[in-house]
Amino acid sequence: MTLVEKILARKAGKKVVRPDEIVEVSVDLAMIHDALGAHTIARFRELGVKGIWDPAKVVVVLDHYVPNKDIDTAKKCLNIKKFVLEQGIENYYEVGKGGIAHQVLVEKGHVLPGMILVGVDSHTTTSGVMGAFATGIGVDEMAVVFKTGRLWERVPGTIRINVEGKLKPPVMSKDLMLVILKRLGVSGALFKSLQYTGSTISQMSIESRMVLTNMAIESGATNGIIEPDRRTLDFLKGRANQPFEMVQADKDAEYAETMEFHAEGIKEPMVAVPPKPSNAVGVTEVEGTKIDQAFIGACTNGRLEDLRIAARILRGRKVDKFTKVIVIPASQEVLKAALAEGLIATFVEAGAVVGPPTCGPCMEAHMGILGPGEVCISTANRNFQGRAGDATARIYLASPATAAASALKGKISDPREFF
Amino acid sequence: MELKGRVWKFGKDVDTDELFAGRFIMGGDETNQSQYQEFIARSGLSDVGHRENVPSDFLSKVAPGDIIVAEENFGIGSSRQQAAETLKFKGVRAVVADSIHRIFFRNFWNLGCPAIDMSGISAQFETGHEIVINLRQGTVKNLTTGNESEFHLVIPPWFVDMVEAGGLIPYHKSLKS
Repeated sequence: MTLVEKILARKAGKKVVRPDEIVEVSVDLAMIHDALGAHTIARFRELGVKGIWDPAKVVVVLDHYVPNKDIDTAKKCLNIKKFVLEQGIENYYEVGKGGIAHQVLVEKGHVLPGMILVGVDSHTTTSGVMGAFATGIGVDEMAVVFKTGRLWERVPGTIRINVEGKLKPPVMSKDLMLVILKRLGVSGALFKSLQYTGSTISQMSIESRMVLTNMAIESGATNGIIEPDRRTLDFLKGRANQPFEMVQADKDAEYAETMEFHAEGIKEPMVAVPPKPSNAVGVTEVEGTKIDQAFIGACTNGRLEDLRIAARILRGRKVDKFTKVIVIPASQEVLKAALAEGLIATFVEAGAVVGPPTCGPCMEAHMGILGPGEVCISTANRNFQGRAGDATARIYLASPATAAASALKGKISDPREFF
Repeated sequence: MELKGRVWKFGKDVDTDELFAGRFIMGGDETNQSQYQEFIARSGLSDVGHRENVPSDFLSKVAPGDIIVAEENFGIGSSRQQAAETLKFKGVRAVVADSIHRIFFRNFWNLGCPAIDMSGISAQFETGHEIVINLRQGTVKNLTTGNESEFHLVIPPWFVDMVEAGGLIPYHKSLKS
């Protein structure tokens, strides 16, 4: 069995599971955030049960609309806090304590190898970086998980994404993922799992790997996953909040498909042209496209290594006079480290605005929303029409290096010029 | 269980941000069902004038019992259940598509509305055709052209019971009693 099949089999109490079989599994971790948390709670109350199945297995993070932008969002967050107190949920991250849920789940050691994690957010797939089965569900299903601790799942066949070789800086894992999506398309992995393997992945930092599992959903996949290894163990040292077992794929696992990629084959940074994350082109093809906004952040690319490479490009320079440049660390922990390294000072000196650790303008939730016809280069994961504001705004997805270079010039620019 | 209705033909890659934009997610009082339903129904597909994959008169003419037939990859994107709710509250009874994204698929069924993925089905329908879906038999028939096709869904055995109960929450409440 593949890694995902093994995790699902264990949690279903079965010896073997096969792709496209329906299984019922026990859930190890359930995440709600402010965007859909109050809805989940309302649906849970409708079920008429008093207590959630296991408060220790629930994580609540406020990240989309905080600090609250209006009375509606404040009311929903109050409802969530009331529920957290009433149910005795310890894992609660108020604004200023956590950051973006997907980042918090990983860096606070909630997600561990072999776990099954569900969240009311499609980018819950990010947590697959720890070798867990992590996926998104809607609020009615989450209400039922809160009641029963159980979930049905269609066992996804595994598409193995094997990547060999070394990425040539400033080409980053984001560029690699855009290349992968270009080949898979936005529906190439429907009801399948993406498992990333190969020498490129094993030499990659956990931060870079998270870009790959984060954007697995953009291919239509059920989840993205990476087998836990030495780097996973090192990362979890001092973070894991309970013991865990390393679950690994069988040597004779059967993959639905294996797709080979060569890191050296990615000659230049990539940009996904609107309105699909799969519309990748080399940066030179869209170089010079005028931008109104550059956004560096989100659960995709708001981590320390992302801020480091952006700061390296922005250091001692000024961003374009007419371009809004928004930098948002993915968590308080990232913000703290970035402050200590002087990265935040670099952004401020360069003329960027630094936001509190939240989802930011990624999904037109709160701040940085695009107006008619505006163009944004963004390190986030989706460039659907109307994703971050007006339906006529255009979003180009790119790495933090490409976004930073573009911020300087006010147009899409090749970061290699600064290396 | 049989569902009969008028077809709205959608294009491919209809995403959740299109069905229900992020700016509306925190709107509506989720503790007040009638107010919530009215808000969700009104807010969905609010900028349809800019879209190529939705019929331009869908918003003004959609009526209870209508059925969407779409090309591939319906409902890609977010887990926001409002993307499914807005279709239900506008009156859409079922979605039949060449392929459907996992989260939308689950969300729509959970509201008591079938989401049926059948490779190539969209080629058999145009807006205004009459469609009949037989859930237990697993057939879709175009009453306008007479074409009939079979489908094979990968769903839990209790899913049709759930639809008959009105969705996941009512189904779970009925299990208790």
